[in-house]
Amino acid sequence: MPDFDADDNKLTLKVVFYGPALSGKTTNLMQLHSLLNPQRKGELMVLETRDDRTLFFDMLPIGLRGNSGLDLRLKLYTVPGQVQHDSTRKAVLSRADGVVFVADSQPSQQDNNATAFGNLEENLEKVGLDIDTLPMVVQFNKRDIPGVVDEQDLQTRWASTPWAPLVMASALQGKGVIDTFRLLLDRLYTVINGEYDLEMLHSIDRHTFIEGLSANYGERHAHL
Amino acid sequence: MRTFEDDPSLEDLLSPEQRERLERLLSDLCTEPVRLTEQKSEGSVPVEFNLETIGWLSGGSRDERRAAANLIGFIMMFVAKYRLAANLHHDTTEASYAELQRQNEALKASEARYRELSEQLQDKVDEQVRVIQKNQQELFESARLRSVGQLAAGVAHEINNPIGFISSNLRVARDYLEDLREMVPASPNNQELLDDFRDLLTESMDGTSRVAGIVSDLKTFSSIDQADYSLCRINELLKSAVHLVQTEYNHSLQISERLAQLPAVTGHPSRLSQTFFNVLDNAAQALRDTDQEPAQGRILVQSRLEGDTIQVVIQDNGCGISEADRGRVFDAFFTTRPVGSGTGLGLTVARDTLRAHKGNVQIDSRPGTGTRVTLTIPMQGAQES
Repeated sequence: MPDFDADDNKLTLKVVFYGPALSGKTTNLMQLHSLLNPQRKGELMVLETRDDRTLFFDMLPIGLRGNSGLDLRLKLYTVPGQVQHDSTRKAVLSRADGVVFVADSQPSQQDNNATAFGNLEENLEKVGLDIDTLPMVVQFNKRDIPGVVDEQDLQTRWASTPWAPLVMASALQGKGVIDTFRLLLDRLYTVINGEYDLEMLHSIDRHTFIEGLSANYGERHAHL
Repeated sequence: MRTFEDDPSLEDLLSPEQRERLERLLSDLCTEPVRLTEQKSEGSVPVEFNLETIGWLSGGSRDERRAAANLIGFIMMFVAKYRLAANLHHDTTEASYAELQRQNEALKASEARYRELSEQLQDKVDEQVRVIQKNQQELFESARLRSVGQLAAGVAHEINNPIGFISSNLRVARDYLEDLREMVPASPNNQELLDDFRDLLTESMDGTSRVAGIVSDLKTFSSIDQADYSLCRINELLKSAVHLVQTEYNHSLQISERLAQLPAVTGHPSRLSQTFFNVLDNAAQALRDTDQEPAQGRILVQSRLEGDTIQVVIQDNGCGISEADRGRVFDAFFTTRPVGSGTGLGLTVARDTLRAHKGNVQIDSRPGTGTRVTLTIPMQGAQES
């Protein structure tokens, strides 16, 4: 849930990158760190890793100031994907305002995707969040690897869910990462604006919100 | 409540000592001492970390201030990383612990429930086992008693006829003896012979009447002799039983009676008499078997009214019943007396009789001290005597 501090006129939102182990959650965040050029951008904090695997989480803070002086912060977190870190995943997921589910496109990883998605549902319930109303985007990563599951198949499979359309990405190449993020910002805005009236009170409309937070260095990112 | 992800303040990141040391180290690098504070002051520059102004730096030259502020921001990143990881670890550990405790509580509750269920189950099983054992015992006893009863009925029937004509013949023979006395010459020798003959016949008649008594016992025991129930005066029955026992023991027993006024009850007089006699006979035997002086032996016979029941208490200060024998005293043919001197049916008859009267027999005994037998007879349809 959003953390609004009326004294400081500060609104902090939390977005969590969730997904199976090795699906590219940290890579997504690192790409966002290097590609994004929002109004305000903090340091990417990569907490302890072992063999390049996330142990705790990664965090990237970005920010936007409204004309009203509203200090809008967006903290992007990744969770450790490995099964044994479930309590860490639950702690990071608590009070989330939006989720990016990073799935692995390789056919061999489809079971892991399903398991991780089930785990997400379960943990959301445990921390008191509703998967049906929480702004969420599902990204299928690693499109650069040969033999991945066909996009059409994936889109058809997910068509009847609230999370269609899926976003295809190759985080390693920086492709689709910003698209994913923008789609999430779009869905997040609907909910946050409904609650805090960003447009009327702080003159932050949907366009300002998305562009202000996802402005980027231009053409290095490409659509898939 | 603070969570691990709350933006840390300068205080959260650095202890006063650490902050002092950082100021000292930075001051060494600068031309003038620098100070790091939480409040903004004249000429200070903000120290930023992750979009957050965590403090203000003053002192040094303008360039030094900026460079030092950036340096602090950089250092703070590592401090904050550690702090974040530590806080997260703390949070998850606490959450896991709380979860474990919750599960532990649930487990305990469920364990307690199962223990209770199992206890209830055990109680039920025990109760059923008791019922089954009791039924089995009763079935066994009734089967045994039936067979013993049939045997006794057979024996009694077979003996009854011969003993009848033997005793009748003996009586006639004694009459004949008187006739003979008048016929033979009245010499002292003849008189002595005839007297002796008469004594022999009298003893034989006594013997047959005892045999008839045993047969009658057996008949009572096997319930062959189903005389109708009638109104009984318990005290009268007790008195005659006492009298019988005294006769048996040549009036050597010290029996005191304490009989209360009792209403007449519907019962089987001969069987009740038999019962009283059996219990009194046991008491007399117990006095004989005890180690103490025969003169010390006493039997107390009491009757009293307890609500709807009549209680007859026959108490002796004899040898008592040993622990091992106590469970078997009601068994048919169980006896501690020498072979031939007891049938082992006395208390069996007593119990069966009392059961037939819907009453019961209770025995309290201590070896070496004595025995108290309490016979309880309910007054069904009792009338004032």
